[in-house]
Amino acid sequence: MDGVVVQFDLGVFSIDAVKKAAYKYINKFSTDFALQGQSIVCSLIFTQNIPQDSIQFYIDDFRKEVLDQDLREKIKKESEPLRNLILAHAFSKTTLVEQ
Amino acid sequence: MSKFQPVSFYKNKKKTYQLTPFRFLKFNQEKYFLSNMTGEYLLLDRESLGRLVEHRLDDSEQSYLDLRAKQFLIDDTNSIATDLLAIKARTRYSRLPEFTALHIFVVSLRCDHSCQYCQVSRQSADKLKYDMTEEIADKAIDFAFKSPSRNIKIEFQGGESLLNFPIIQYIVERSKKLNEVHCRNLDFVIATNLSMIDRDILDYCRLHGIHISTSLDGPEDLHNKNRPRPGKDSYEKVIKGISLCREVLGRDEVSALMTTTEASLKRGKEIVDEYLKLGFPGIFLRSLSPYGYAIKTKSFAAYQTEQWLDFFKESLDYIIELNRSGIRFQEYCSAIVLSKMLTSSDPGFVDLMSPAGIGISVIVYNYDGSVHPSDESRMLAEMGDNTFKMGNVLTDSYEQVFSSQALLQPLEDSYTNSVPMCEECAFEPYCGADPVYEYAMNQDYIGRRPESGFCQKSMGIFKHLIERMEADPFVKNLFMDWANRK
Repeated sequence: MDGVVVQFDLGVFSIDAVKKAAYKYINKFSTDFALQGQSIVCSLIFTQNIPQDSIQFYIDDFRKEVLDQDLREKIKKESEPLRNLILAHAFSKTTLVEQ
Repeated sequence: MSKFQPVSFYKNKKKTYQLTPFRFLKFNQEKYFLSNMTGEYLLLDRESLGRLVEHRLDDSEQSYLDLRAKQFLIDDTNSIATDLLAIKARTRYSRLPEFTALHIFVVSLRCDHSCQYCQVSRQSADKLKYDMTEEIADKAIDFAFKSPSRNIKIEFQGGESLLNFPIIQYIVERSKKLNEVHCRNLDFVIATNLSMIDRDILDYCRLHGIHISTSLDGPEDLHNKNRPRPGKDSYEKVIKGISLCREVLGRDEVSALMTTTEASLKRGKEIVDEYLKLGFPGIFLRSLSPYGYAIKTKSFAAYQTEQWLDFFKESLDYIIELNRSGIRFQEYCSAIVLSKMLTSSDPGFVDLMSPAGIGISVIVYNYDGSVHPSDESRMLAEMGDNTFKMGNVLTDSYEQVFSSQALLQPLEDSYTNSVPMCEECAFEPYCGADPVYEYAMNQDYIGRRPESGFCQKSMGIFKHLIERMEADPFVKNLFMDWANRK
């Protein structure tokens, strides 16, 4: 693969977390994904208007974003039943929810 | 014995807590921005955020108390949090089942102005074929009363709406007659450039409780540059018109809207001063939209979102300083956003709603009977793109029009809780979906968030408002006042 290679451990991060993080940088770089053993291998191809000296900044930021995405997954998983309960409760007296 | 429980009473005895649904984003180098489903927010450092999610936050920490107070977590002392969140969520979405309240009647496409940014196709003032007929008006009024909304606001637009004043009178009187049976809260607004307003028209407006909305872009030279007309006297006419409206209708019955052009960008203070000079209580800082003549004349492309944001921030900062010096003046775009940030209510601003406000909040009946889910989509149709055309009052029923794929598809596709990046964005409770904007820019209803001008503009506004109020208690108080002012 061409581009800057960044790897993540599949035992630590989900593929979704890495994909979501990559999407956020879609205006900075495109990403090729591959699974190699226990690793998610990302090849980042930067758009031409990104200065060479900014590339490392975006790579670091991408890694931090994957970490944030991992945190978001934990929050979502823990709070999902409560979210459904709150919304059901909120709309329980309206005609929007079918009986 | 004290009437109050000691602090120890509020300690979390079980030492465990449950997370409630919330989102976060990196706000700056030090802080993360957290928001919950009802729009409450907090700023927290990354280390504390990590400990919060890993259940390692101690109940003696200030951040724990703040998070608990805003129902980001539930422990054994605030089990009522679930009920509170449900009540706030219900309040926030209370407009949704009301459905369409704003009904725009495009009574004529004719206009005496030729504004470079005008969002509609203008026709010369002598072509009667671009006027709404009574037959079309009758059908459109019937559509309006089919909406379940308790509040029906009929807004007359153009072209220049007063070029077809007889149909306005017809619609007002027929709607009022029908409302004797329907019993809605019925309001009327005429959007006009005021060039042909006179005492007779205003006497009629006073008799029927009609509000006037006009355009004022700033000082005389800027206004006349943006809004050319024969005689080059648009400013003179609008100033005289505002004065006459106030004399006949009362001070609060006329409002004005500005549009930012490239020529406005360096003149924020002057524009605000113009509104102040004329005694308006506030201003809506509005950017250009990528529709109609704004695209054809390239005026939309004349400046970038970043430049508009600089203009917005500079003008808002000036307004804040005016307030600090004792001059009460409001910025309405900020007030709408602040209402979503600082209260449980949603003012229902069409551009900042999800599901999108198109069709649900506003509907447009064009002069020829065609129905469009927003003024912007009507403008696309005037340019020959009928993607959003929902039908025609002459040939289609209300049910056919509102179940049209031209409405349902963009509503479904653009729902922010399903759009990549929006679904996890901590600003989502304040933001909205604008499928017409995205379609105009990208020919799909979503676009890519990192490349979206709408996203960039909205995020820029949200961030600036939060930065200003978090850094300055005066601004926080001022913004609380704006958020709660109706």
